[in-house]
This record gives sequence, structure tokens and C-alpha cells, in this order.
Amino acid sequence: MTGSADTPEAGDPAALIEAYFAAGYTDGLPVVPPTEKSIADMLAGARLRGEAILGEIAGRNTLVTAEKAAINAVMAGCRPEYFPVVVAAIRGLCHPDFAYHGPASSTGGSAIVLIVNGPIVGVLGINAGNNLFGQGHRPNATIGRAVRLVMMNAMNTRPGLLDRAALGTPGKYSFCFAENEDGHPWEPLHVTRGFAIHESTITVYASNSLYQVYNQLAATPEPLLLCLADALANLGVPNVKGFNESLVVLAGEHSEVLRGSGWRRRDVQGFLVEHARRHVADLKRAARLPGDVVPADETTWRHVFEAPEDILLVCAGGRAGSWSACLPGWGTKWTRSVTMPIEGPIARGETP
Amino acid sequence: MKIFDPTAAPSPRTVRLAPRPARLEGVRLALVENTKFNSEALLRKLGDRLGRRYGMTVSLVHRKRSPSHEIEEHVLPALQRQADLVISGIGD
Repeated sequence: MTGSADTPEAGDPAALIEAYFAAGYTDGLPVVPPTEKSIADMLAGARLRGEAILGEIAGRNTLVTAEKAAINAVMAGCRPEYFPVVVAAIRGLCHPDFAYHGPASSTGGSAIVLIVNGPIVGVLGINAGNNLFGQGHRPNATIGRAVRLVMMNAMNTRPGLLDRAALGTPGKYSFCFAENEDGHPWEPLHVTRGFAIHESTITVYASNSLYQVYNQLAATPEPLLLCLADALANLGVPNVKGFNESLVVLAGEHSEVLRGSGWRRRDVQGFLVEHARRHVADLKRAARLPGDVVPADETTWRHVFEAPEDILLVCAGGRAGSWSACLPGWGTKWTRSVTMPIEGPIARGETP
Repeated sequence: MKIFDPTAAPSPRTVRLAPRPARLEGVRLALVENTKFNSEALLRKLGDRLGRRYGMTVSLVHRKRSPSHEIEEHVLPALQRQADLVISGIGD
């Protein structure tokens, strides 16, 4: 095993945890100190050899090996059967369309949002329900944490250096959840991206904020979607400068309104594209666009989105409660979400 | 017990710098802008000043795919053919 060193406090677990803090290897929380066996078990979880290359960020001279990913996954608290999910996420980060450098290093301080689909969700017990973005579920917490630790430690994305976040977000510690594919109004996210329903995937998406949208009275799509469109087009949202993706997570009651309406996914996306907009005059007064306001600006719309597929619709969260969430994307088409297959028997739903 | 190093240093890559122009007068200038607000305006203003001061001419202006992306490989031969000096910068 490369890159290891004897510790002066051999045999003292607490001292070992402190040694990882002292070395600057942690995200601020204690880590699980790896052992030869736990790293080997982690690699075996994805049937990978340590020297396997998971991805490359050419512009940063960064190569991610399976061994380094496994060490970080152990530190994060992952079980070995989670490792195929971590590996797929890292491959997504290294995909050219994700354009890692921007979302990883920008002052915008994005969380890497990981959305899991397919049979692996049930096998690993990844939460798709109550308290979706919150605490309490080991796979959600540790898979997302492992990916951030890999970024920090193995991809040179350290705060203050090549992570220049002005504020960041708590989602930078960990941000992983599954889509609720049961009772879904439409086909799940990965099927819209060309995968079969029986395949397992992870979608990697960069977002620096999350705000919850409440509407307890809407019984039809229009009023509900007007609330979401308004939230997606506030004056401070990064996307007003151009066109990017946004993620909309519909929890149970709002999903049910849409399912009962007969609206297709495309109908919902089209409505949001049409209504997520501001007058140019508003944007100029708020200095989100340059120039003086001219009379025509008062009636000229500037749309936030360019195309229906720029809005990622995901159904997840608790069945009770009139909530959904908007997660604006980072940048202006400088990064795109990427969906990667999760490989191995566990991804086909086989119990490890 | 051991500490296992979870970090990886950037993999070394040898980069050969192009020869610097011996003099600035009359060189052909390429501008590579990164699509951010004011990037092109800033670079063109710089090109104008260099033109006035040294007689440089802007021979090519390229707009990158985004600030996050490296310059496209297929653009490099044109830069080599058409420019003696390239300025890349950001705006916002």
C-alpha cells in the first residue's frame, strides 16, 4: 500500500483519528482510520485493483486511482458495497461535460449533488423518502462524504486553494439521495437519460443552493408550477445571466398533484421554461444585466431557461407535506449534469 | 497501525513554453476570451492599447466554450499559424 506511514501512537484509536486531523486529511469531522484490510475490502466491493484509473482532469494534471478513492471512502464511513456508487460518481466528475474545474473551484461554492436511481437504491437502503436532504441514513451520508473527501484529498480541491468558495454550502460535506421511483408520475430520471429501468445510475450535478417551496393549496399543476417558476427566477439566482440547468425535487404531495393531473414530464418542464422569467427592466435595476433601463425593457422578458431538458425533475422526499425544492445549477452552461452507470452485480439488484 | 495517505499530488507534465517574442512592435495578437461578462470588451481594449503603443494587430479572437473548459485542441493550430502572441483573460 503506498503513501502510508507509521504512527507514533500505534494502537490508540483516538490518537489515530487526531493524526488524520493533524495531517489535514479530514473535512472537519472525524474520519474512520483505514487499515490494509478495510481498503482491500473497499476495492473488492467494486472489484477494482488499486492502480485502476477512475478518471482524469487533464487541465489540472489530476488522476484519480481506485486506491486513493478507496482510502477516502473508508475514511468517510462507507461500507464496501457502497463503493461502486462512489466510483461511478467520480467517473461522472471526470466526464468532460461536467467540466470539473469550474464547479469545483468557483467562488460559487457548489455542492456536488448525487442522485441515485435503479435497483441499487433498495439493496443499499439509500433514502428517497422523509428527511431526504437531512441526516440519519448511512449510505446517503457516507457516499456523498466520500466523494467530497476524494475531491479534497485526491483531486486537489482544498478550501482556500483550488476550492475558492466564498460561502460554500452545508451540502459540500455530503449531498446524496435517491429518487423515489414508486408511484412516480413519469419515468424516473435515469430512464429519461437513456438507461433502462433495471439499470442503476448516479447523476452528478453542481448546485450552490437549495430552497424549499411551499404550496399547500394547489390542487392543479398551474398554481404549483407558478410558485416553482417564481423561485427559479429570483433576482439573485446565478442563472439569470444565461441559461443553465436547475434541479427541481418534487416531494410526495406535489408529485401527487402532477400525477393526478395527467401532465407529462415535458408539459411540466415546458411550463417552467415559459414562466421562469423576469422583465429586462427588473434585471437592469438590480444590476444583474448591464445598461440603463429603456422603455422596451419594461415589457421584454428574459427567460431563465433555454429548453425543457434544462430542468431536471426528480421525485423524492416524504409523502406528507406540501413541499418541493429548487436547486439552481452552477454557472451558465459551463457545466452539465452527467448520469453514469453503476457497475457490478449489486447495481443489478443482487444482494452482496 | 498506520496512517494511510488519501491525497494525490498532481501528476507531473512537461510543458515547453513557446519562445518569447524578441520585440513587441508589430506582433500579431490573438485574444482568447472565456465568455464571462466583459471578457471580450476587456481584451479588445487591451488589444487596442497594445496596437497604439506597439503597432500590434489583433489577428484572431477566439471565444472559449466556457470559463470551465480548456481551450479546444482544434483551435491551437490556427493560433500558432495566425498569431505571435496570445492573451487569455477573464472578465466579470
